[in-house]
Amino acid sequence: MNLAWTVIVAQEVEQISEEGSSGAALLLPAPEELIAGIIAFGIIFAVVWKFALPALQATIEKRQDAVRMNLEAAEKAKVEAESLLLDYRAQVAGAKGEASDIVAEARDAGEAVKADIIARAEVEADQIKVRAGEEIVSERERAEADLRRQVADLSIDVAERVVGSTLDADAQRDLVDRYIDELGGVQ
Amino acid sequence: MELILASAECDPAHDIICAPSDVNELFEFREAIFSLGPFPITRTVFLILGIAVIVSAVLFFGLRKKALVPGKFQTIVESIIEFVRDGIAIEIIGEHGAKYAPWLLSIFLFVLVGNLYEVTPFINFPVTSRMALPLMLAVITWVIFVIAGIKRQGLGYFLGIVWPKSVPMALRPLVGLIEFFSILLLRPLTLAIRLFANLVAGHLMLTLLLVSGWVFISSVGDIGARAGIGVAWFTMGLGIYMFEIVVIMLQAYIFTLLSAVYVQTSLYPDH
Amino acid sequence: MELEAAEALKGAIALVGYGLAAIGPGIGIGIVAGSAIEAMARQPEAAGIARTTMFLGIAFTEALALIGFVLFFIA
Repeated sequence: MNLAWTVIVAQEVEQISEEGSSGAALLLPAPEELIAGIIAFGIIFAVVWKFALPALQATIEKRQDAVRMNLEAAEKAKVEAESLLLDYRAQVAGAKGEASDIVAEARDAGEAVKADIIARAEVEADQIKVRAGEEIVSERERAEADLRRQVADLSIDVAERVVGSTLDADAQRDLVDRYIDELGGVQ
Repeated sequence: MELILASAECDPAHDIICAPSDVNELFEFREAIFSLGPFPITRTVFLILGIAVIVSAVLFFGLRKKALVPGKFQTIVESIIEFVRDGIAIEIIGEHGAKYAPWLLSIFLFVLVGNLYEVTPFINFPVTSRMALPLMLAVITWVIFVIAGIKRQGLGYFLGIVWPKSVPMALRPLVGLIEFFSILLLRPLTLAIRLFANLVAGHLMLTLLLVSGWVFISSVGDIGARAGIGVAWFTMGLGIYMFEIVVIMLQAYIFTLLSAVYVQTSLYPDH
Repeated sequence: MELEAAEALKGAIALVGYGLAAIGPGIGIGIVAGSAIEAMARQPEAAGIARTTMFLGIAFTEALALIGFVLFFIA
């Protein structure tokens, strides 16, 4: 404690005697600050009461509504999607059945065509065979007739040369023919 | 800085160890900017009115948009309001708590901003360390919890305090007397003084450590060794600065919490 | 001069008084906070109640220190 300090203390003591306790002044509210505080608190209370809490409540309600609406929309979309999925599944199943029907039909048609073609080919082959047989027969007949005529002519020629053209040609030809027929019959 | 070195005897260049001649110099700015009738309009008055401006602006800009997906600022403002409304009002008071939310929220924001002045650069003065504000808030709390008690229990509220049924007959007059003083006098007083004392102590520590640290550092040219002490003090002041930020929030919370608890005890005295 | 010296000492005596007034609440707050932490550790689900009750207990205990603080200024 130097001298300056004691002087300060002395001054303080004087102040105390003038204004009362110096430390206690800190504990006494200053009127202008009290009034300012009341005004400020009043403003804050009004803002909080009339604006802040209702605004927050409105925001929270808006948020809740939004969440609820989103959930509902999602639920609706889900239901819709499920019904769509069912539809598609049914459609796909129908299409599959149809496809297998078509394939079966096509297979049946193919078989029918195949059978038809085979049958027709067989018929044709038979016809060809028959016709060929007929042709062979007629060719043989023609060849036989030719042969017969030539043989008869030759025989007559030979006989004329032998007998000397006295014989009636037609009568002789009949004779020969008969003879050949007999031969043919023997054969 | 002129604050602490106000007295002429204390010249930092020559006499470092100096104290304010009067602790009030740290807390009073009585030189009026102008006067309104009998009331001097001081810097403190402007700061107090500034609380209302700041709180209103923050609330307005924070809640104006009502956005479904809130931005950073809106989230902060909303979570503060929800913290007071749900975490204090409804949790402490119970089902009727929402009714008291505007009052509790006003107290919380008022005290918080008033305290935050302490660590705001260039202001550095907690207006809640002026007795007027804690006292005003405590009186409001007192009025509200007394009215809540009377509304709930009629005049039986006072009877329940001075003649408590839950203690043995022989002790009732004594406990009643203690309870009477404790509830109706000490509760508001301690509520006010707790806030006041914490902020006064905080402001004193910050001012003394930071200012004296600065004075020591700036006297490097004269006496080199003192600069080291100054750096140590200044560092310690910065540590206290961080600590004070925590204290500020905690005091705002405790003031609001205790106000809610007091209302709760006058609504449901048996609990 | 003697009176002035006594006046000068009054602040110092008030300071000692405040220090004495702070001892009890200091111990008390320590006990309250310690018990609250114990309760919270034992039953973390009841931490909210324990915290609230802790602040309430601290508030009541602190009252004595606060009265001491005020008396220091008044003295």
